[in-house]
Amino acid sequence: MRTERESFEILDRALHAADTEADAVFTSIDQNFSRFANSNLHQNMSEISAGLTLRVIVDGCMGVAATSSLDDEDIANAAALAREAAKHADPLVNFTGLYRDLPDPPKLRTFDERTARISPAEKATSLRAMFDRGRDADVQFAGSYTTSASSVACANTNGVRRYAQITFADATVIALHAKGSGYATRCARRVDEVDILALGDEATTKATLHLDRIEDIEPGAFDVILEPPALAEVFEWMTMIAFTGQAYEDSSSFLVDRLGQRVAGENFTLADDAVDESFLPFPFDVEGLPKRRVPIIERGIARTPIVDKAYADRLGFPPNGGAWHLGSPEHGTPFHIDIAGGDATRDEMIRSTKRGIWVTRFNYVNGLLEPKTALMTGTTRDGTFLIRDGEVVARLPNLRWTQSMIEAMSNIESLTKERRRVATWYNMFGGTIAPTVKVRNWQFTGKT
Amino acid sequence: MRAQLEEVLASLRTARYADVRVTTTHHQHVKVRNGEVDHLSSVVDRAIGVRVLVGNGWGFASSSDISDSSLRATALRALDVAAASNIASTQTITLSDIEPHVANWSSQFEIDPWSIPIDRKIDHLLAATDPMRGDPRIHQASGEISCYRQQKTFASTVGSFIEQTTTEMGGGIEAVAIADGEFQRRTYPNPFGGDFQAEGWEFIERLDLARKGAQIREEALALLDAPKAPAGRFDLIIGSSQLALQVHESCGHPTELDRAMGLEISLAGGSFLQPDMLGKFRYGSDLVNIVADATVPRSIGSFGFDDDGVPAQRFPLIDRGLFVDYLTGRDTAPLLGRKSNGTVRAESAARIPIIRMTNVNLEPGATPLADIIADTKHGIFVDTNKSWSIDDLRLNFQFGCEVAYEIENGKLGRLLRNPLYTGITPEFWRSCDAVADRDSWQVWGLPNCGKGDPMQTMRVAHGAPAARFRNVEMG
Repeated sequence: MRTERESFEILDRALHAADTEADAVFTSIDQNFSRFANSNLHQNMSEISAGLTLRVIVDGCMGVAATSSLDDEDIANAAALAREAAKHADPLVNFTGLYRDLPDPPKLRTFDERTARISPAEKATSLRAMFDRGRDADVQFAGSYTTSASSVACANTNGVRRYAQITFADATVIALHAKGSGYATRCARRVDEVDILALGDEATTKATLHLDRIEDIEPGAFDVILEPPALAEVFEWMTMIAFTGQAYEDSSSFLVDRLGQRVAGENFTLADDAVDESFLPFPFDVEGLPKRRVPIIERGIARTPIVDKAYADRLGFPPNGGAWHLGSPEHGTPFHIDIAGGDATRDEMIRSTKRGIWVTRFNYVNGLLEPKTALMTGTTRDGTFLIRDGEVVARLPNLRWTQSMIEAMSNIESLTKERRRVATWYNMFGGTIAPTVKVRNWQFTGKT
Repeated sequence: MRAQLEEVLASLRTARYADVRVTTTHHQHVKVRNGEVDHLSSVVDRAIGVRVLVGNGWGFASSSDISDSSLRATALRALDVAAASNIASTQTITLSDIEPHVANWSSQFEIDPWSIPIDRKIDHLLAATDPMRGDPRIHQASGEISCYRQQKTFASTVGSFIEQTTTEMGGGIEAVAIADGEFQRRTYPNPFGGDFQAEGWEFIERLDLARKGAQIREEALALLDAPKAPAGRFDLIIGSSQLALQVHESCGHPTELDRAMGLEISLAGGSFLQPDMLGKFRYGSDLVNIVADATVPRSIGSFGFDDDGVPAQRFPLIDRGLFVDYLTGRDTAPLLGRKSNGTVRAESAARIPIIRMTNVNLEPGATPLADIIADTKHGIFVDTNKSWSIDDLRLNFQFGCEVAYEIENGKLGRLLRNPLYTGITPEFWRSCDAVADRDSWQVWGLPNCGKGDPMQTMRVAHGAPAARFRNVEMG
């Protein structure tokens, strides 16, 4: 992780080398990944990485180059490559230039010194304690425990300059019993909010629930209770197929021609929210625009895709801070998926269910089946349970489902007040925060 | 560089084993869309990585700073991490034997991808995609060309010093048609950036994108009005491109020994293929022969040595339908009492090496594809992947394809849209009753195989012919 001074020194060299209108992002990441399986720490990794991305605008045309090497020669080469790319590009449609005269970003608590300093040994000690506790329950653990400290700086030739430090802690734990498995996950800006032993206990409870009652069901439509990790995986796909500037521009998004119209039930609100300090806050996007809460679907009404500056100008939307990679082909992505909660509890959902399925998480969801209806498929994993007459009565095998998410968003019966954060593998800035939801008529189409 | 790396290795003498890798990776990507340059980027990534085994704890450290001082500091971090690993290490690590190798390996190409000016790449794509435009239902006509080169130096305490350079190119075109709420995408030769080979510009020329543009435009438009592929059970003929992905998901991944041993459960899952099934389990019909072959010329799944320093090899995974081997590395092969078969790779020196597919190929059969179609009374032909999903044990899969055609009385009939097929891996492969000959066999490069945590994207490939499967569930 680099200091503000170090970061801006690198950015200033890059902007100077650009020799034209330009912006640049410098990210420096120190992270430690502890990966375990069979209650054994088998992969333990410390990575220090840095990357500079430089974007130039020449006669309204954009070119991008990136380098992990920060000496003058490599930065000069990156600038030359970016200019060369711009020379061959077409002018950006309606582009009014890089940002200038922006307000200050919000002041957010994004950094925790203890998270930045926690040692591999301390993390290994926590994992060892969880492994030892698992022996009593006859379970073994697999998962990962990651901590990182990063600096993110961006600047442009119009005077915009931003710098932030962020920390991140993320753990996933799968408890494996001979007859079943369970899952638990937490992520936070502060490592002290990620309690490894508690996660092990939660996963163990799921792994050992109803081991003596394993039932089979035929595929069909069921009321389903989806926990936050399941919802997060679905909405990561929704982000790709529907919420980006690119998906809107190429008309593959179901939002096209439906802005201002109802696309979900009135109880469903989804926003890009990087400023909620109870989530995973971050103050600006990498073009320097201050972050704010941006509703994408508000009480069931489609509001906006998320766009970067180039696509805000091109599509005529107000800029909403969706740039996370300069020159990204997505042209805007919501990296902080915030699904509003309701007033229910999970227990109330179970009690109100005559015949349904409680799902901990999904595996290998794919959202490319029919993008216009957001038809997706996937399987359940690590804790799928049958509910009958208001009680969880049996463990189920993993099930395949094939479901239109537009239908599902209109079939939400209730949402819990409690929400949980879920990390994503591709997004160092944010993730998803979601309640548990109960959805009517979820289509299960197969079983293992 | 050799002296630098050997000096670092000497400083790691307390370790049972250590290796150092240095990589420089260049990417260039050009995309045109609807007559404009949509994306043009160039990336240079440098990394060093040090891996040590101390006691029964692995330690890995990497840095994007490749200076001498950083290399020494990275080595110290690796030792520190290995010491931490020993706190929570509960198993004994044994490494399979290996000979030291001093070698230099490069993939072969005729025309250096970087020798072709960007202008020419753009013009090539515009020439291919411009004829695809004009119909208002075509919302997107796009084309991409990618260039990739990785230079890698490896040194280990075994005494190996290996330098390798891989050069690759990829390219493809895509037409997206939208009308009345229907969305159809048609690509050539493959979706997600096209096909990729360890070749130079000659590969892009051989793709002949300009000749295919009009065809995929017409197919995309025709799909808008095509009837939906039916649900039910059908005899299914799967084309080479889609079958390559079927091999990837339902054979390649489940034969990774780390998955089978539970080491990858935390992210992508395990495998239904367990070690006690080796040599006994009927994975497919007698016609199903699947090999792992890291020596296929001009393929992105090929290399000289893996990231354990083990030479590239060819070996069967499925032999006449029988499950006979896994993909292994030096620290996993001893769990089976075997030696590594050389499949451990990392996307760059920044990441830890793990078991990865090489070229996992379904071997061709003896029957021409035309004869298989002629021999099919009532069935469906599908090709070109659109969606993919498989459960955490690699058993229950569902694939969507871009196109399907009815087969009636041995002849291809109507075009069908949105075909989906699903099944259970061994039941599916056991239902294979015809494998087409080498005329339909092709190696497909997949540059985006995700595995590991943190996620690593690996470049793998699959040779596959067309093949027929009986009584497959669709819809």
